[in-house]
Amino acid sequence: MVLVTAALLYLSLFGLHIGSMNIKGADEMRFGIDIRGGVEATYTPKDLGRAPTAEELESAKTIIETRMDAENITDREVTIDSTNGAVIVRFPWKSDEADFDPQQAISELGETALLTFKDPDGNVVLQGSDVSKSYASLDKNTGSYVVILELSSAGTKKFAEATSRLVGKDISIYMDENEISSPTVHQAITDGSAMITNQKDLETAKNLAAKINSGSLPFSMVAHDANIISPTLGMDALNIMVLAGKIAFALVCVFMLLYYRLPGFVACIALLLQVVGQLLALSIPQFTLTLPGIAGVILSIGMGVDANVIVSERIKEELNAGKTLRSAIDAGFHRAFSSVFDGNVTVIIVSIVLIILGSGSMLSFGYTLLCGVLMNFLAGVTASRLMIRSLSEFKGLQKPVLFGARRMAE
Amino acid sequence: MKVINFFKNRYIYFGISSLIIITGIILAFAYGIKLDIQFQGGTLLKYTYVGDINTEEAAALVENVLGKETNCQEQTTVATNEQTLVVSLADNESITSQEQETVTDTLTAAYPDAQLDLAASQSVEPYTGARFFRNGILAILISFVLILLYVGYRFRKIGGISAGVMAIVALFHDAFVVAAVFIVFQIPLNDSFIAAVLTIIGFSINDTIVIYDRIRENKTLMGPKTSTEELVNTSITQSMSRSINTSVAVFVSITIVYIFAQIYNIESIKDFALPMMFGTVSGCYSTICIAGPLWTMWKNHEAKTNLKKA
Repeated sequence: MVLVTAALLYLSLFGLHIGSMNIKGADEMRFGIDIRGGVEATYTPKDLGRAPTAEELESAKTIIETRMDAENITDREVTIDSTNGAVIVRFPWKSDEADFDPQQAISELGETALLTFKDPDGNVVLQGSDVSKSYASLDKNTGSYVVILELSSAGTKKFAEATSRLVGKDISIYMDENEISSPTVHQAITDGSAMITNQKDLETAKNLAAKINSGSLPFSMVAHDANIISPTLGMDALNIMVLAGKIAFALVCVFMLLYYRLPGFVACIALLLQVVGQLLALSIPQFTLTLPGIAGVILSIGMGVDANVIVSERIKEELNAGKTLRSAIDAGFHRAFSSVFDGNVTVIIVSIVLIILGSGSMLSFGYTLLCGVLMNFLAGVTASRLMIRSLSEFKGLQKPVLFGARRMAE
Repeated sequence: MKVINFFKNRYIYFGISSLIIITGIILAFAYGIKLDIQFQGGTLLKYTYVGDINTEEAAALVENVLGKETNCQEQTTVATNEQTLVVSLADNESITSQEQETVTDTLTAAYPDAQLDLAASQSVEPYTGARFFRNGILAILISFVLILLYVGYRFRKIGGISAGVMAIVALFHDAFVVAAVFIVFQIPLNDSFIAAVLTIIGFSINDTIVIYDRIRENKTLMGPKTSTEELVNTSITQSMSRSINTSVAVFVSITIVYIFAQIYNIESIKDFALPMMFGTVSGCYSTICIAGPLWTMWKNHEAKTNLKKA
């Protein structure tokens, strides 16, 4: 039993070690833009009288991604919300980018892409609007993936002229100022159907096709829903909350120690274990932690304190009722379990409702809450019981005063 | 341990709660319930600056270029003594990032010495906001129903549904107190509101369940002859120190968070922590003074009707 305690203590300390490593390597923990600063924008088509098609949204997404690549913004999330016909973009605003203008960045990302095909001398031979359709396909002869381009009639003429002139040379395709592909012309193409061969895999081929399609996208994107938070504002909030959290945690521990003595000490370790587990649950799957998510952590710490308070109270009561230490601890945990269980299950229900219904802040709150409550079962109930049982094996610790009780049966 | 007679004083508790709720409703009519732009749509821009800016003049400038009614306010952060200019559009319109750029350019040009710097901006389409709000309220209501079903099932021994209904009454009570805090302090309802209500619901239901659990246990221990009144009074008294200790721990923690947020002017946290402080007290109070006594009344009433039938 003593060994088990030691093992659990070690586990929680070791866990803490891993946990603090994750906190220290702040890049490893994924913070929402409300914490570290950043931009969140929902782009919708401008002046389009209908809902955009799935292909159009895909193209719009690749336009935004290509531009972000060019700006070297790699840590980003670009997702398509097909039910609302929108593209959602999130990216951090790093504190060293003092001259970064987020409003301008949002505007520029949504602009219509200028897609051009240029010969080696830089003359434009074809424009995005000359391509009526582009898609990925599998070339049965070679077994490799290709991108097919179907040209409009005007495009067919222009392309026939250019390809007959440029056999053996490259035609480079640009989106804005970024080169996205540079295939070599093998023969003159006069039938309006071109093929770019040798794509690495289906994914690459699809991506290139979407980029080429973006040249004929009939609309630009604007962001009516946008959130910008400067990194200083965000990071300050995080540091202050972490400090407030530490002070609050320390006070709770002092309170538990003074009021419940030995069970209080065990409770503090169990709480630490719970918080560490919760942080790991956030950092390992790279779940984005937002401010409401921190609220979820606070609530689950509260639940954890409660579980320990219930147990400690119960043990004290059983001792006062004349039980031996051993049976008081057993009875205390046994009796407390049903209420801790029911309390936790209701909170789990609430958190699952939030995860299903909520997006953004509510989702983050629900997730941290769910992890915290599950950890509470593990740390607050199971681990506490093992620790307190084994500690009570020590003769020196078998004193009623250590349990806040008036007496203790032998 | 001396058993405190909570049931006897029930009308005092009900009176206090009614008073709070009625005050809340009156103030809601007097002040009106404000929704944050998160829920009703709109645009908010925040700039840090130095020196002096006449807010009315700034508002007029922005109004001029956008052609939309605008409000400007200034805020100062206590800890850092930083000044913030808050620009908001009066009607619930959202503007594009292009229009936002115009606002920034106009203000920078008008106040070249103020070192205007964009700290935050938020722009929400009215229909997106409405969807968020609907989802939030829906989440609260669905949680209520599921809690009712779960409590009803788990506490069927002490009359399931009645216990569930009274737990929900206590939850409505707490949700209302949280809403009242938003109204009294004139904080526009935003997602902190949803988060605070949900957190308090979590606490309060947990609190109520601990007492129900004690009632369930005591029902077996004290035997069938014990009156409901005595059963409930004993159970609440026994769990008193636990209820209060937990609430004190949470209240102290959240108060520390609030103090820090207040000093450093972190609005999102402030808007969450303040209602939470009141909600924690309300959650503890509603469990002890509302859910228990109400449940006793229901049970007594049930017993009487059964007697008449027999």
